[in-house]
Amino acid sequence: MIETRSRIRLRRWRPRGLAWSIVLLAALAVGVLVGGSVSNQLRLENPDRSRVSELRAVLGRLPDRPLVLVGMDGDLGTYPEIRPALRAVLADLLAHDARIAMVSFTPEGRALAAAEVARLADDGVAADRLLDYGYVAGAEAGLVLAVTDLPSPPRPDNPVGRAVLADGDGIAAFDIAVVVGGIDFGPRGWVEQVATRLPSLPLIAVAPTFAQPELAPYLRTGQLDALLATVRDDAAYAQDVALREGTSDRTGQSPAAMLVGMLVALGVIGRAYVYGGPPEADAAIDEEDAA
Amino acid sequence: MPRNVPGIIVILVGLLLLVDFVVINPTLVDVSNAVLRLVVLLAAAAGITGASFLVMRHGRAVLDGSPHRLESSVLIVGLVAMLATGLYPGSQGAADPAVRWMVTALLAPLVASLFAMLFVFLLVAVRRGMLLRSRQMRVMLLAAAVVIVLLLPLGGQLGGWLAAVAAWSEAVPIGAVFRGLLIGVGILVAVQATRILLSVNPADD
Repeated sequence: MIETRSRIRLRRWRPRGLAWSIVLLAALAVGVLVGGSVSNQLRLENPDRSRVSELRAVLGRLPDRPLVLVGMDGDLGTYPEIRPALRAVLADLLAHDARIAMVSFTPEGRALAAAEVARLADDGVAADRLLDYGYVAGAEAGLVLAVTDLPSPPRPDNPVGRAVLADGDGIAAFDIAVVVGGIDFGPRGWVEQVATRLPSLPLIAVAPTFAQPELAPYLRTGQLDALLATVRDDAAYAQDVALREGTSDRTGQSPAAMLVGMLVALGVIGRAYVYGGPPEADAAIDEEDAA
Repeated sequence: MPRNVPGIIVILVGLLLLVDFVVINPTLVDVSNAVLRLVVLLAAAAGITGASFLVMRHGRAVLDGSPHRLESSVLIVGLVAMLATGLYPGSQGAADPAVRWMVTALLAPLVASLFAMLFVFLLVAVRRGMLLRSRQMRVMLLAAAVVIVLLLPLGGQLGGWLAAVAAWSEAVPIGAVFRGLLIGVGILVAVQATRILLSVNPADD
């Protein structure tokens, strides 16, 4: 009987999608608009700065003009979440006079890498500090090959490519690897395939929040040297970099809008918990029972 | 003992990669790299085959006047547009400005919008799920509510306290579960790899 009533409820209830969407968008707009005025009460950055400190410690141990390989394998769906953190890492590395090369093992990551390289070039980063290795096919098999043998750079005269060739033509030639993860591919593959072959290569991971529980154990075991995998840690690091560079924080994420969204979610969960569904569903069941 | 040619190939390749992982030898590295390049070629062939079947399937849907012919047409047009911009004579491939525009101005916002809609869909699913009044749904929603409260972007002492509790719950209970999962997955993978290398089939158990 209970199961029947549940099925009836499920069948009868229809979400009023348009009204919901309008209310939600209005609430988010209010959140964004009032974000500035309540910024003292709201804080997106994680007050626990341990992840930021770990990352800064790794960067502080790098040699002068380090060779940095960015394994860019984010995906289009989750990349907007980690983009501010990655851009802060790149800005931090460039402030350390780093020479940066990018490589991708997924097609989506390749598209994102091409866009980031173009953005860095547009921002005035000298061409002799940037190198794009492009897409390496084969996912994990390609990653294993890249440990000793990266593909030829598109511009053989590029100083970064020449430096890599001089030190050995593979990931081993780099001073550090920054791994940008997504749904399909990311830091776990690097830990399994690269860290086991190159244990002395520092690995930094930038990943979406959903990957945090999976990657945190690698951080504790030392297989990852630093990890940014939550919005709050990302915001803390971006703020830290902005403060050091004397620029404005460019995360573009509004804590007020986030708070509004979370409160809406809490409201819906609470209401569903208490009532088990909207009143119209119960009314429909009562009518059916009466009939 | 191996019973067929694929089984023998799997054993040989597996042992080769395993020995290459343990023993440092330039010849072994060359041989295992050659094998890995074959694996990459196989993956590429599988990708091209999959894309071809996708086009054939949706092309047939368009030609047959399927009710979903509009969606199929959009897929084919998108695929052709991306291929054309990435492969025209003189194109820079994925770094070509036209491809970059399609990705950053069209594809990325579209996919991000789909992910953003997850928020609304999840809330709708919460309400519908609670109509079933199952205990599992109640536990899951309670856990979700606790996590949301812990992650509220509040400042001050309350925000600091919430963040501290969130960090503890991530490092201790959630971390313990995921460490256990990772260890379990690692053991299972090792066992499965050993079974493949030894050609042990379920029938042998």
